[in-house]
Amino acid sequence: MSSVFERHPEHELVPYLDGELSRQQAKKVSGHLESCGRCRAELEELQNAVADCASYRTAIVAQTSAAPAPWRDLYRDFSRIDESLANNSLLVRLMRPLVHSGVPRWAFVAGLTVLIVLLSLNQLRQAPSVQAATLLRKAVAVSGSQPRPAHRIRVRSSRHADFTRAANVPAVLVEVAQAQAVAALFQKADWNWNDPLSARSFEQWRDRQVHKTDEVSAVQDPQEPSEKLTRIRTASPEGDVEAASITLDTANYDAVSERLEFRDSEWVELSEIAETPTDNAGGSGVDSVGVPVRAAEPPSRPAAFTPGSPASISDELQVLSALNGIGADLGDPVEVALADGKVMVTGPADIPAGRQSEIRASVASLPRVEVAFNSLPAVSSLASAGAPAAGTATSPAETRLEKHLGHAEFDRVSTQLLDLDDAAMQRVFALRRLALKFPDEAALSPRDLNVLRDLSRKHAAVLSQEVGSMEKILIPTLSSLGGAAVSVPATAHAGWQPAAEDVYLSARRVEVLISQTLGMTPGKASPSELMTALSQLQANLDDCQRALK
Amino acid sequence: MAIFRQPPSGLELQDQVAQLYTETREDVYRYLLTLGVHPPKAQEAVQEVFLRLYTSLKKGEKIESLRGWVFRVAHNYGLKVRARQSTEERFDPAFEARLVAPTANAERDLLDREKMTRLNTAVEGLSEQQKRVLFLRMEGLRYPEIASTLGISASAVGEFLRRALLRLKKVRDE
Repeated sequence: MSSVFERHPEHELVPYLDGELSRQQAKKVSGHLESCGRCRAELEELQNAVADCASYRTAIVAQTSAAPAPWRDLYRDFSRIDESLANNSLLVRLMRPLVHSGVPRWAFVAGLTVLIVLLSLNQLRQAPSVQAATLLRKAVAVSGSQPRPAHRIRVRSSRHADFTRAANVPAVLVEVAQAQAVAALFQKADWNWNDPLSARSFEQWRDRQVHKTDEVSAVQDPQEPSEKLTRIRTASPEGDVEAASITLDTANYDAVSERLEFRDSEWVELSEIAETPTDNAGGSGVDSVGVPVRAAEPPSRPAAFTPGSPASISDELQVLSALNGIGADLGDPVEVALADGKVMVTGPADIPAGRQSEIRASVASLPRVEVAFNSLPAVSSLASAGAPAAGTATSPAETRLEKHLGHAEFDRVSTQLLDLDDAAMQRVFALRRLALKFPDEAALSPRDLNVLRDLSRKHAAVLSQEVGSMEKILIPTLSSLGGAAVSVPATAHAGWQPAAEDVYLSARRVEVLISQTLGMTPGKASPSELMTALSQLQANLDDCQRALK
Repeated sequence: MAIFRQPPSGLELQDQVAQLYTETREDVYRYLLTLGVHPPKAQEAVQEVFLRLYTSLKKGEKIESLRGWVFRVAHNYGLKVRARQSTEERFDPAFEARLVAPTANAERDLLDREKMTRLNTAVEGLSEQQKRVLFLRMEGLRYPEIASTLGISASAVGEFLRRALLRLKKVRDE
C-alpha cells in the first residue's frame, strides 16, 4: 500500500503535534517538514491554534461556576455497593433465612423447585406484549449500566448498497449517498439514526405505536449455534414502519440485529459486525425474517491455489477484497504487502480493538496471511522546524461564499463538503493504490483480473456518486457567484491504471481548491476554477470507468 | 494513569477511586456542561459515573485507562440525561466563558475579552463532533481514549481536531 507522504502530510500534522503518530510516521513527517516551508508554516499556525485552545480552556475553567452542591463523599456509597454485591444473588437471599431457620435441606430444594415452576408458568402465561415490554426494559437497563465498547454495524437495505457505520454515535462523519438515503428513511419514521441498532431506539418506536401486535420467539444464532437469541417482532397498522424486529442476545441483552419493514415494501436490516473471527455457517435455525450476516463473507479461493506454496498476487488480491468488504481500505491506516512468502496486513496499535478484531476476522479464513498491529510508542515532542511562518491569506471566494450563504449555512455546507471530500479522497487513494500495485494485468489469471476489476469498478462507481454530490452542492452556489466551468476533455487512456492517476491528480486539485474556497488553506480560488476542476475530475473518472469496463 | 493489574484490596480500591474522583470530577463535570447537561444533573451524573467505576472494578473488570473509561461512561450517560431533559432549554456553558475576570489592566482585559469572545464564537460554530473531540482533547485525553469515548477511529479523531483547529486558526487570522 502506498505511503501517504507522496503528498503534503496536512492530515498528519495535528496528530504529529499531539505526539499521536508512531515513531516511523513521525519521522516521515519530520523529514517532510525539513524540506517543505508550506507545511512548516501550517504547523506553526496549528501550534498557535493549540495555544489559543489552552487559553480558552483556562478561561472556561476559571469562569465555570462551581458545582451547585458540595461533592458527595463516596465512601458511604462504596460500602453500600460492597454490601449489595455481596448480597446480590437472589438465591443467597432466599437461602439465608431458610438455612438459619433450620428447615431441612430436602424441604428447601422442593420449595425452590415449586417456586421455579410457578415462575416459569407465570412467564408462559404472560402475553407476548408483556414479554416484549419486559425484555426491552431489561435490555435498555443493561445497556445503560454497561456501555458497550465501540463497535460497528452493517446496514443492508432493499434499495441501496450495503455500508457500515459506527454504532451509537452521531452519524456526522461520512453521510454519503446510500447512508443519506437510509438516514432519511429513519428520520421519516422518527427512528433514532444516531443509535439505530439498540433496544432503546426500538423501545422508543414501539412505545409510540398505539395498536401494536408483538411476537416473541427464541432463535438460534446462525454463526454460533450454542448461543441463544431472542427476537421481538412488533407490527403496527400506523406510521411509516409496518413491522420491526429486534434480535437480542439472550445472555446479555445486546442488540444483535434489527429489521425494519416499511409500508412501501422497502426494508432495512442492521446487524452488529462480529468482533471475533467466526465461520459463516449460513442461515439455519432462524425464522422467515432471517438474521443478516454478522461478519464479512470471505471471498472465494483463487483457482490456482496450491497448499504450501508462498503467497502470490492472487492471495494479496483476496486479502484486499476481504478488507474492502469491511471498508478497511478506506481511511483505516492498514497496509497490505507481500513479504516472506506471506501477505502481511499491518497497522498501528491504536486502531480500536474492535476494529482490529474485524480486520482479523475478515482475513481469518484466507491462507498465508499474517496480521500485525504494531505498538511503536508515539513521540511526544515536536522536532524543530526553523522556517518563519508564512502569512495566511483569506480567500476572496471564501469571503464571498460565507457572505453569500450566511454564517450558519456556510458552516453546514462546509462541513458537508469536507465530509464528502474526505470520503471521495479515500476512494481516490484506494483506487490509485490498486492501480500502482497492479500495473500489469497480463500477469493475472482471469479470476484475479475479475477480482481486481470488481474492486476498482466499485471504488470508481462510489467516487462518481460522491463527486456528483459535491457538484450538486457547489455548482448552484458557485454559479450564482459568477462562476462557469470550462470544459476540458479527459485524455482517453487505453488502460484504467493511467486513467486512475489522472483521477488522483484532478481530485487533489479539487481538494486544494475546496480547501481554499472554504478559507482553510491560504490561496486564491475562483468559483470558475473550482467548477472547472470538478468537471475535469468527473471527465477523468468517466474515462477511468470506461477503461475498466 | 494507574492501571490495576492486580486486584487491589477493598479499602485500597476505595481510596484509589476516591482519589481519582477528587482529581477528575471537576473536569468531567465541565465536560458534561459542554454536552448541554444542566449543572445539578451534571453533578449527579459525575457521582454516578464514579460509583459505576467502583462497581466495575469491584467486579474485577480490567480497565486500562481509568480516566478514559470515566469520560466514556460520562459521555454516554450525559447524552442520555440530555435526551431526557430535551423539553427544557439546553444548558449553554460557553455563555459563562465569554467573560474574562477583570484585572487592573483594563486595556488588556478588553483584548482578552475580545479574543475569548471570538474563540467562543468559533467553538460554537464547530460541528457537534468537532466540539466533543476538541473538549476531550483539552481535558488531556489521548486519541485512542477519545476514539473509544465517541466510538470513532483514532484517525477520525485527528481529522476532527484538524478541522476544529483550522476553524480556530481562521478566527485568529480575522
